Amino acid sequence: MDEYSDSDWNWDFYEGLVEDVNENKNIIQCIQCGKCVGECPAARISNFNIRKIITKVLRGDKSVLKEPDIWYCFLCERCKRVCPKEGINIPLLVINLRNESFRKSYGPKYNDLTKYVQMAEKFLTNGTVLSEPLDGGLPPERMEELNEICNHARIKYVFKASPESKNYDKIHRIIEKRKKLQKEKIKRK
Amino acid sequence: MVLNNLSLDHEEIRKNYPENPLEFFKDKKLCLFKACLEKYFPGVRYGIQDLLEVLDLDVITCANQSCCSGTFFQRNLITRPQFAAINERNLNEINHMADILLVSCNGCYNSLLRGRDFLRQSNIKKKTQAVLNNLKKNSSGENYPGKYELLKTPRLRIIHDLDFLHLIKDEVVNTLKFNLKGLKVAVHYGCHYLNLERDKRTEYGLKDSFFKDKTKLEDFINLFGGVPVDYQERESCCGWGASQIVLHEKDALKITFQKLKSVQNVGADLILTPCPTCLYTLGKPEHRENILKFYGEFIDVPVIHLNELIAILRGCEEERCVNIRKKDPRVHKIYEIITLD
Repeated sequence: MDEYSDSDWNWDFYEGLVEDVNENKNIIQCIQCGKCVGECPAARISNFNIRKIITKVLRGDKSVLKEPDIWYCFLCERCKRVCPKEGINIPLLVINLRNESFRKSYGPKYNDLTKYVQMAEKFLTNGTVLSEPLDGGLPPERMEELNEICNHARIKYVFKASPESKNYDKIHRIIEKRKKLQKEKIKRK
Repeated sequence: MVLNNLSLDHEEIRKNYPENPLEFFKDKKLCLFKACLEKYFPGVRYGIQDLLEVLDLDVITCANQSCCSGTFFQRNLITRPQFAAINERNLNEINHMADILLVSCNGCYNSLLRGRDFLRQSNIKKKTQAVLNNLKKNSSGENYPGKYELLKTPRLRIIHDLDFLHLIKDEVVNTLKFNLKGLKVAVHYGCHYLNLERDKRTEYGLKDSFFKDKTKLEDFINLFGGVPVDYQERESCCGWGASQIVLHEKDALKITFQKLKSVQNVGADLILTPCPTCLYTLGKPEHRENILKFYGEFIDVPVIHLNELIAILRGCEEERCVNIRKKDPRVHKIYEIITLD
């Protein structure tokens, strides 16, 4: 039996959640057909059930923000493809849910975040997510631009809070080192 | 100001150049978008670069391009305006160098179009502009101030490598020295090519192409002398799942395992994909070993990117292509199957 009654509809949560209602304007028309769940890779390996998540969102049930399963979504966009309705963008709804969960300090798990430390460092110092990229990465003198764009982004705090970065200046030290190496290379040529 | 999503309309090119769509590209400058994972698979880049040079096309890469940042957006580590600003910065850099941007990775392709889509939302557009304005004030790069703006009427158009190669497939086939000798090939398109919403709904209504089966890889297999084989998990994810394989390896590898097992069950000799991220997930030796550890079965079917396969079939003797196959046992194995009598 449905755990909600008809009077439980509450769209305040939903309206506050979506940054632009247009991208998910029809989510209130979700017919709960479950096609999205049937095709979902995350549903195969976890309790992630987008049909139930949508129900909770439309009922204003904020407990969904604490559910670890929202971090299991593959963002593969399969649900969007099989959904019979238009104007329902589940992957972007999940991203918004995660954002809200972040804001409330519920998730993701700390251990999951630590796996992004190295990628964050590479991105903020090389402009790619891997060390020694195929073409040497973004020129060091252009790295400031990426760092400026990412100001106050979580990517910087992930890096800053990690044990691998004793202090935040590490980014600038690495960029300076790259600049020095580049100058030496040019001199040698 | 209308911001379009920059997709190159390949159907229009097919209509205007029915005899030889390559003609459309002859007087254009083509730029290859540098995907991070090409570090592990340089053949994905050099395979297409060499082909384009042989076809006498003007091809470049952009030194000032950064990673598309899709990984960080998907894990909520950057905001939409920051993601859109990184995207716009890359597009600005490439727009003043090239007419066409070729993208070898489904993830980058999705990011480039998505970042642009976000700018249709007025609040995101305003915030993105604010991020770029701040960049002008605070950065000291030699081209500042005044470098980046939201592109209003860019000349640049974006196309996925698979769509591009399919457009010029007749010319591609003309460059080949070898064929697939009837090998059975399974295809893996990858979610961000297969499920791209932009094909499904546009401002102008539904597009038929979304509902049609996507069969360009199968077309290539037939043209290359192989046999495309269908399998149950054809449309399933490779297991990458926006870094799920990094975060929950055992669970994500279950998806990879089910896919590979399904490929093995139909007796495929190799898997063909148009995405380096899927290639990484499906082919990484460590993943195959962990599948054995977690799920008790080792699956040996090799996987290759379309650009790498074309380089092999062309018998490319450029040093960088030869090096690629010599240094990568995965590619060398497929090379031997194809080229040995």
